[in-house]
Amino acid sequence: MEKERFFGVNWQSMDAGMPPEMNSRAAAADQLPNSFLNLGWEQPMHHDAHFESALSSLVSSPSSNTPAGNDSVIIGELIGRLGSICNSGEVSPPSRYQSANTSCYSTPLNSPPKLNLSGMDHQQQGRGGVPVPGNQMAAGKFSPFAADPGFAERAARFSCFGARGYAGLGGQFGLPEAGKLSRVSSSQSLKAVQMVASDNGKEVPVSEPERPAMETRSKFGGEAEFGNSQEASSVSDRTTAVGAENNARKRKAASKGKAKGAPLSSSNMNPPKPSDGENSDAKRCKPAETDGADKDAAVKPKTEENGDVGRKQGEEGNAKPPEPPKDYIHVRARRGQATDSHSLAERVRREKISERMKLLQDLVPGCNKVTGKALMLDEIINYVQSLQRQVEFLSMKLAALNPQLDFNMEALLPKDMHQVLGQLPQQVYPLDMASTAFSYAQQPQGTPLQSIVTNSLDVQGSLNPLESSLRRPPTMQLPRLDGFTDATSQLGNLWEDDLQYVVQMGLGQSQGTAFSSQTMPVE
Amino acid sequence: MIMIMISTDASAPAKRRTKPSPPENKWRTGARERAYRSRLLEALRAAGERRASGPRAVKEAADSALALTARGQSRWSRAVLLRRRSRLLVRAGGRIRRRKRPRRRPVGPTPGTGQPEEGKKVRDRLRALGRLVPGCENLSTASLLEEAADYVAALEMQVKAMRTLADDLSAAAASGNGRRAEG
Repeated sequence: MEKERFFGVNWQSMDAGMPPEMNSRAAAADQLPNSFLNLGWEQPMHHDAHFESALSSLVSSPSSNTPAGNDSVIIGELIGRLGSICNSGEVSPPSRYQSANTSCYSTPLNSPPKLNLSGMDHQQQGRGGVPVPGNQMAAGKFSPFAADPGFAERAARFSCFGARGYAGLGGQFGLPEAGKLSRVSSSQSLKAVQMVASDNGKEVPVSEPERPAMETRSKFGGEAEFGNSQEASSVSDRTTAVGAENNARKRKAASKGKAKGAPLSSSNMNPPKPSDGENSDAKRCKPAETDGADKDAAVKPKTEENGDVGRKQGEEGNAKPPEPPKDYIHVRARRGQATDSHSLAERVRREKISERMKLLQDLVPGCNKVTGKALMLDEIINYVQSLQRQVEFLSMKLAALNPQLDFNMEALLPKDMHQVLGQLPQQVYPLDMASTAFSYAQQPQGTPLQSIVTNSLDVQGSLNPLESSLRRPPTMQLPRLDGFTDATSQLGNLWEDDLQYVVQMGLGQSQGTAFSSQTMPVE
Repeated sequence: MIMIMISTDASAPAKRRTKPSPPENKWRTGARERAYRSRLLEALRAAGERRASGPRAVKEAADSALALTARGQSRWSRAVLLRRRSRLLVRAGGRIRRRKRPRRRPVGPTPGTGQPEEGKKVRDRLRALGRLVPGCENLSTASLLEEAADYVAALEMQVKAMRTLADDLSAAAASGNGRRAEG
């Protein structure tokens, strides 16, 4: 496995020390040297398991033996700590992503000097407050995390990846990885590189193991860069170039997302730190990716939009206006937005609601001009009322025409019968199969009805009482299929039976009981 | 076969439930309209048989037909059918105890605009919309909007179908009367 290759290469450097490792980890998290790691992270620990074994063999790190899950836990823990510093707003708590990756993301943000998420994430600031003066800061930050051996190990791992082997790997994945991940990785790798270079003079490039882990996918693109540029400068250049846009995009996406939910405080973050932005974006992207492919897809366009919209850091501001319509699909924690579960849930909910509103807007004519929920709802209500009034009016008209229905039945029937006949079979046969015929009481029968009544219909609840009450002594009566000539009565019966059947099926589908089909003799 | 889809509203944050497909598309297909027309005819004939030719009965029949055409996939359709059913039971002389769903908290938290005025307006309107759509009174905002979209699409189809039916009938009646008059 490539990972192992990397391991071998960098393991020696791992002993640099916990803090540095942690730092590198954190930094690495941003930068994806972990493309491999990402794999491990993303896919539930498959790779981690490999990693673990490989690591343990290579390095006697305490956490190496921890199962994949533990790794993530450890990392998550570390991330959390780093996150507090870095405030990687985007990175939702590990719980969200269910992997340390998330936390990794946050950490790297803090550590790498560029971690500043351009102001998008005010929270970050609050947390990490780490404008990230430089790698040193990262290093400093990491020290607290040194406590976690697993983390250190990971960091080392990541860094290893980032530093060495990625050169080859990176090439493959390259930037073409359009996904957010690629962007993320690039940013991450950038950061990692920077961090590494500045941070420790160690060879171990601090790639963002966490981040890549999150993305697991081939976000290697970033890593590729990372691996290639061992030197921070070169890396940074590259990452900047590559990741810049990604970051910008991500940042934008994040900021947009955040803007919606939380006021963007980003003035601090704004300092153009593309890498940071990327990292944050990467982080964000990663979580998003973990969330689901669809999210990624959605995010992609989003992030791209965001990026295109403008790298200005001021995005964090009110995201509402600039927020492209597609944004609401994502749940990803965006830059500058809170990543705690509540706000995320809140954002999801809001996005869902706005999505539905858009749907309604398309449906109701004249809603495009108005903006704002209240006005739109006004329009919708008016439209629904007008439609209902029309239905009433038409029903009055039809009622007046009804006596002529029979007369015209012959005329209408032929063309309608086709449809009816076409549909009836499907309706009727199912009726045979399973449904309790519940006639609409053209002649309500006392017993059955009372049984029904006593069951106290529950409108919302299951139809169990209804259906059980409907179970009457089977009077098997196949729906009269033969009587199409006698259209009226037949159709009348079938209509009711069909109605009941459908209702029961729909309402009682949860109950898989098969009811004997009964048709109450009508009339 | 009949496909029943119970729509669940997942409000869990992590679970992002994407709208499967716009409801109006389902309602605008010709198949649906034809299905509705046939059902409407059945209902009308049944109503005629039962001597219930008042406009209200016709409207009820039409609404039931519409709800039936919805195949029970939407909440409002189920509510309409149940309402009709319980009404029949009531007419039968039974006592229906309908257990209403516990009243939910009023429509969600503020829309996020940060202005209580707007939030209140929106909430009021959402509640009004809930009253308009059958069976959606105490519903969450998201599902309410979803139901409303489906209901609007269904109503549009219903109006269209009824209008054409009325036109056909009146045209047939006119021609029929004319013919009869002549003959």
